[in-house]
Amino acid sequence: MAFVTGKALPRRTFLRGMGAAAIGLPFLDAMVPSLGAAPKAPVRLAFLYVPNGIDMKNWNIEQEGAIAGELPRVLKPLEAFRDDFIQVGNLTHNSGRALLDGAGDHGRCSGSYLTGIQVKKTTVDIKASVSCDQLIANEIGDQTRFASLELGMDDSRQAGDCDSGYSCAYTNNLAWRSETQPLPPILDPRALFERLFGENANLTPAEKERQARYRRSILDFITGDTKKLQTSLGPTDRRKLDEYLSSIREVERQLEKAERESLTINPGMAKPYGVPPDFGEHFKLMSDMLAIALQADLTRVATFLMTAEGTSRAYREIGIPDGHHPCTHHQGKADLMEKVTQINEYHTKQLAGFLTTLKSMKEGDSNVLDNSIIVYGAGLSDGNRHLHEDLPTLLIGKAGGKFKTGRRVVYRKETPMCNLHLTLMDHMGVTVENFGDASGRLDPASLS
Amino acid sequence: MGIAFEGDLGNRIDALLAIGMLNGFSAKTEARRIALAIPRASLKAAQITEVVTAFYSPRAIAGPGGGGVGGNPEGVIGMPEGASFATDAPTLAPLLLKTTPEGTPAYTSPLARVLDTADNAVLFRNQLLAQFDQNATIVLAAPATGLVRLMSLYGAGPQITAKVKRTVVTLGTYPNGGPENTIKGDVAAARRFFADWPGPIVAVGSEVGEALPYPGATIEEDFAWAPAHPVADAYRLGKTMPYDAPVPALAAMLYAVHPDDGYFKVSEPGTITVLEDGRTTFTASATGKHRYLIVDPEQKDRVIKIYREMASSKPAPRAGRGGRGAANQNQNQNQQQQQQNQQNQPPQNRPQNRPQQNQPQNQPPEADAPAEAKPPTP
Repeated sequence: MAFVTGKALPRRTFLRGMGAAAIGLPFLDAMVPSLGAAPKAPVRLAFLYVPNGIDMKNWNIEQEGAIAGELPRVLKPLEAFRDDFIQVGNLTHNSGRALLDGAGDHGRCSGSYLTGIQVKKTTVDIKASVSCDQLIANEIGDQTRFASLELGMDDSRQAGDCDSGYSCAYTNNLAWRSETQPLPPILDPRALFERLFGENANLTPAEKERQARYRRSILDFITGDTKKLQTSLGPTDRRKLDEYLSSIREVERQLEKAERESLTINPGMAKPYGVPPDFGEHFKLMSDMLAIALQADLTRVATFLMTAEGTSRAYREIGIPDGHHPCTHHQGKADLMEKVTQINEYHTKQLAGFLTTLKSMKEGDSNVLDNSIIVYGAGLSDGNRHLHEDLPTLLIGKAGGKFKTGRRVVYRKETPMCNLHLTLMDHMGVTVENFGDASGRLDPASLS
Repeated sequence: MGIAFEGDLGNRIDALLAIGMLNGFSAKTEARRIALAIPRASLKAAQITEVVTAFYSPRAIAGPGGGGVGGNPEGVIGMPEGASFATDAPTLAPLLLKTTPEGTPAYTSPLARVLDTADNAVLFRNQLLAQFDQNATIVLAAPATGLVRLMSLYGAGPQITAKVKRTVVTLGTYPNGGPENTIKGDVAAARRFFADWPGPIVAVGSEVGEALPYPGATIEEDFAWAPAHPVADAYRLGKTMPYDAPVPALAAMLYAVHPDDGYFKVSEPGTITVLEDGRTTFTASATGKHRYLIVDPEQKDRVIKIYREMASSKPAPRAGRGGRGAANQNQNQNQQQQQQNQQNQPPQNRPQNRPQQNQPQNQPPEADAPAEAKPPTP
């Protein structure tokens, strides 16, 4: 690392150490030039996807405009963030509908979610399209260490039939680099950690052995650079850097705990190394690292498949041993509907933790959440009927001051979801003329 | 054959009669409505349209999560983006003010906001994509504005070519004439439509409507089966009864569903050109994509007869799940008879939520994912 006192610290500064360890830095005051206009923090975009639709009766806010009164049940965990999101209504993914391809709404809805096209019904020669996150990554990805990050927590199969003739590649990926190349999400927290902060595989055998023996923190490997940097920072930046490095260390501790537990809990379960058995713990690990990656500007584009579309995951953590997907086909049975609502609530509770972390990350006078667009939603609205209209969608964060949050905005029926994607690409500085079945952009005044 | 119909339903009685006719053809499994749109941004016209369509087929459950007005796209009304509604006064708006003898509104629509409607071009595109190739017909009884926007959507040209077998429009006067009123509604759109539409067009000129008017004297008799019939009541709003209304939209709908049954003669192929002042000219050419209907005097009685029968038909039984058409309805005859009896009541007496019709909304889709077969994931 090299920096010169009196000049602004480059935005893309890394603390480097032995092996391939390299840690990006959060936005520090020292990165602001003493003269001239202060650089604006970048806007980040992340899609968090939940499967099997959402209980819309407990999702939709009754009134349009400013959010007032009690939040619907599924959104209640987001009470502290009621001024930080826009709930969007009536967006539709027509390409998720059957359109003569028969059954397979789960495969279609996730396959089309970010690609905007009707994916080919096949288990062999998969075909989708470049997803909107990758169109953005292709344009601005060279400004960050990672063009994009793909995270997941559930099923990583890339072949086989996951829904009525639709390949698992459609249900288990959100990001598509090309028509035929999905970007599988990272499920294992350790793998994500190493991707973000250093490739263990690149360490020499001696270094690997030493790290394993002493379970040393990755921070130990960058001590020299850290100390050098700290001497040149003001007190605010020093505190910010300390908090940042502490958060990385905390992730490491969680990882170590998860790895220990994974050796003793559910030994018979097929699970990637280091994946915590508890959904909430797993999500916290993954989302904490995503937050750090966004804070440190390691990437500005991310997708997070909270669980694979169509999943039949059981939520024993909250006392639901039934599979999620079977519950959503409740056929009006009250007990199953209640379970769906509880699962939806549980997901938004996890989301609230992620948002808390983002909001706590100060960035000049603002915070990382304010400088982000977190799209939280699903590719189905009513999972019981497999509806592809009025898709549940939250736009969380202020997009660097461009979004006026704390509102519910409803568009006309059948408004293409791809209109939102075009709009988001605009906000990320990537202008694309057409995308999927978009009929245009969302009215700019509706979001700002 | 799926019919996507755009008509000036807030102003033209022939367009409303055409919905009745399409319902009649649906009952005979000869056609089915796949999309319905109006050409102007008018909430009242959308409400009139919704009232008429709800008369023939049940409304979806309203409210959050229930799909609202028209939970399925087939029930959504298409309408262009529009300006102010301050002067929203379509000709047939008084229909919405009609009251029952008890003083309650005879026709009410849950359509309360523009947000409950869809962009007409997007709606048509979405619904066309759900049809088998060459299994859709577009019928237009309105200015061409919406269809021009449809063909302007990204990628829509090849989609229209693939899905739409024929397009029948009530635009112009033939072989030469005009300027005709509907074309005058948007001359520029008409010019572009005839020049660039990616498929064959059959035009129904104003002369067809004039030569085969609807026999107004039959309204009271033919529609008497319903104590309150929105189409009949709309007809009565036009002029002092009985009067014979020109109904080119009915000719267009009839030809769209029965093009080969000899109700009309058809011109040789050629090219229709819309001049800047709205007049139309037809130039014959073997490679032309346009034709126009010609009235066959010998068929007049036959045409009027089917106009009456179809336009005044009772609500078509609802297609069963998975059947996509009335052909599969035998299995549900009892239920449908019950529905029909219910629908034959005046709309204000019909329950808003019909349990037997809402049942499918709580049913899972046809064949569902084998996702249950997945091993439980941690």
